Amino acid sequence: MKFDIISKRFWFFAISGVVLLVGIISLITAGLPSGIEFSSGSLLTVSFQEDVDHDEFVAEMGNLGYTDIIVQETRAGEFLIRTHELTDPEKTEIENALAMRFGEVSEAQFTSVSPMIASETTSNAVIAVVIAAVGILAYVTWAFRRMPKPLHYGACAIVALVHDALIALGVFSVLGAIMGLQLNLMFITGVLAVIGYSVNNTVVIFDRIRENLTRGIGGDFETIVNNSLVETLGRSLNTSITTLIVILALLFFVGATIQNFVIVLIIGVVAGTFSSVCIAPSLLVVWDNGEWGRFVPRFLAAKSKA
Amino acid sequence: MTRKNLIIMAILIAIFGFSLWALLPLQAPENGEAAEKLGKTGLQFGLDLVGGVHLVYESDFSANATDEEKFSSMERALTIIQKRIDKYGVTEPVIQSQGTERIIIQLPGFTDIETAKSLVEQTGFLEFREVELDNTGQPVYLSDYLQMDPLQFIDGTEIEDRIFIAEIPGEEAIEYLTVGFLVQDENGINFRDASGEPTDNTSLQAYANSLSWIRARGDDGTPLTGNLLSDAAAGIDRSKVIPKYIISIEFNSEGAVVFDDIASRLYPSGSNDLLQGRVGILIDDSMLSAPYIRQSHYGGTGQIEGNFTLEKAAELANLLKSGALPMPLKKPPIYQERVSATLGKNFIDMSWTAGIIGVVLVMAFMILYYRIPGLLASLALLFYVVLVLMLFKEIPVTLSLAGLGGFILSIGMAVDANVLIFERMKEELRTGRTLSAAVEAGFNRAWSAIRDSNITTIIVCIILYWLGSSIVASAPVMGFALTLGLGVLISMLTAIIVTRTLLRLVVSSPLSRRTALFRIDRGRNK
Repeated sequence: MKFDIISKRFWFFAISGVVLLVGIISLITAGLPSGIEFSSGSLLTVSFQEDVDHDEFVAEMGNLGYTDIIVQETRAGEFLIRTHELTDPEKTEIENALAMRFGEVSEAQFTSVSPMIASETTSNAVIAVVIAAVGILAYVTWAFRRMPKPLHYGACAIVALVHDALIALGVFSVLGAIMGLQLNLMFITGVLAVIGYSVNNTVVIFDRIRENLTRGIGGDFETIVNNSLVETLGRSLNTSITTLIVILALLFFVGATIQNFVIVLIIGVVAGTFSSVCIAPSLLVVWDNGEWGRFVPRFLAAKSKA
Repeated sequence: MTRKNLIIMAILIAIFGFSLWALLPLQAPENGEAAEKLGKTGLQFGLDLVGGVHLVYESDFSANATDEEKFSSMERALTIIQKRIDKYGVTEPVIQSQGTERIIIQLPGFTDIETAKSLVEQTGFLEFREVELDNTGQPVYLSDYLQMDPLQFIDGTEIEDRIFIAEIPGEEAIEYLTVGFLVQDENGINFRDASGEPTDNTSLQAYANSLSWIRARGDDGTPLTGNLLSDAAAGIDRSKVIPKYIISIEFNSEGAVVFDDIASRLYPSGSNDLLQGRVGILIDDSMLSAPYIRQSHYGGTGQIEGNFTLEKAAELANLLKSGALPMPLKKPPIYQERVSATLGKNFIDMSWTAGIIGVVLVMAFMILYYRIPGLLASLALLFYVVLVLMLFKEIPVTLSLAGLGGFILSIGMAVDANVLIFERMKEELRTGRTLSAAVEAGFNRAWSAIRDSNITTIIVCIILYWLGSSIVASAPVMGFALTLGLGVLISMLTAIIVTRTLLRLVVSSPLSRRTALFRIDRGRNK
């Protein structure tokens, strides 16, 4: 056999573990920079006829008393301001002052979210992710009901998707700290899309395991899982490639507004492919072999061999 | 077999042709030409793409309103807001309720957020109030409440808000000033200032001699409000030395009874010029006048006096007649969004570019990797794109930026079923099957994987859609869920039926002998 993926499972766990650890550390220390949908406030995009210097713009906003705000230059002469929930008079005041200072200004976009809506959105988003996980667990367990241990398949698919969601959150938290990204509703949409994608991939591989097991072609469980993986490897990679192609098209041609969404998708497709190929089937084997308690010794053993 | 295949082929071509015909031209006619259902209409874009205003308001129902009352009030409020918006010629406005207390207003193409808000917010909430009495029958003043600790309502039978109104002698007539409210909410009974913000006793001290006004109710407890009005008109009262503009009002039958209940109760005091005998007429918490009740029967008509100009009287009458909202709305709106038209236009153009580039690259990849089957999958992908766009248009699905994103993402995922099938075909060929046997086996064996993997994606889309419908800033989530879910469903269809039909056609043609075109690496174990 050319590819032996499953035997390297402890390496995969180690790789995932490191990425997850970095992500979790970042989540704990830097947290997730939540946008106004989740923490309330106003977003105002103003664009000027002429190019305005970013620093001068920030200074002018500071003069108006808005020091604790986030300013992002979306393109030449266009700025996105994030601040507390603005009242109408406050907004008019800002726009008038900016017009006085930098010439004619137009309001490209204005969004304002009250704290009540923000907390509702947050809790509903969390509920949605949880229900999605439960729904998938139920479906996968049901789809594999004729297998010896159907719950294993569901549970491993869930572990893989939680893994992907966590990596997406973690990497986003790191990027958020570096690039000033904000977690918005598009981000949550992206996370759920990643969850769907990840499970989709995992299920295709599990389906092959199911088929090979039912056909009863020789070998122990570990061999069958590995064969199934290798057989579906072409599909796993090709689908990731076509999906990445369109995501990159979105990134390059639509850009800033759905940046969060696209970034989450890119992280998610990479993590999702990895977890479907390397993590979920490995977990099945680990579980089937009852190796839970021997993680560390096995890993150390594998390391010393290498 | 071949005959059946040809029939399916013909049906598919017909569907493709119809979809293409229904779609073109893509853009809506520029010159405001009437749009047709088929052939002429462009796709429907959400207001984040065409620009517009999105507002969400929360109703300010009284604490003891029942669900049925809320429901019927919401229904009426929606109709009334619709009427007001209609005058501005907004195309396809969305005015709907969410839950029992929220009103969502989406005005695509209408970017004047200030006008939109004032249009909605002018509640024109007319109500009649009377002076609160203590247990000895004497009027209650703000000072009575300011001295009280802890706060409790003096007239224990009336548990809704009190409005404190100062009466300031003006040049010609008395001016009424709303100074604050006393309301009962989850934090107990507390004071609010004139704009409805919580406040403390000290800031209200200056107006301690304001009267406390409670709702005027009929004998069965129904409050007398604009809901019970059947007509209102501006007019002139010539009975005064200086003629004054007034608004004459007419109650419906229920209102007439309630009004007479109140009149007969207040009449004894009113005829004696006692404060207890006045009825306060308020629009949106501002008092217009507070006349003494001098009759015990009004028979359903009355008039509202105030310091009106003719224009003001006409505007108020209009507001009262065409639409007093059944309940006030909390201000500011709990969610507001405004997108300029130019910003949205850019997104549409950028999404098209991304979509076209995405399709071309995916097709290129499929053809390079799978040769002839890849070419057929590319045709199936084109079929998919045209069919889905046609469905978006005919259902119609309002496309938000996220919706377009979901659609473009689905292009990448749409070929997944084909990839599964082709990989399977290659395996079958390696085991020594003939091309046509491998084609059939590929489709049959790949089906369970296609089905189970796509169902999980659809589960996620359904949950996303639910999430979208349960939150306020929902457009991106719902749009995405809908387009991706629809896309996954349709792609299962196109990837299987279209590709299979085309493949069967090719397999029975001379092309099938050129095995290199099918990337058959028979015998080689990859």
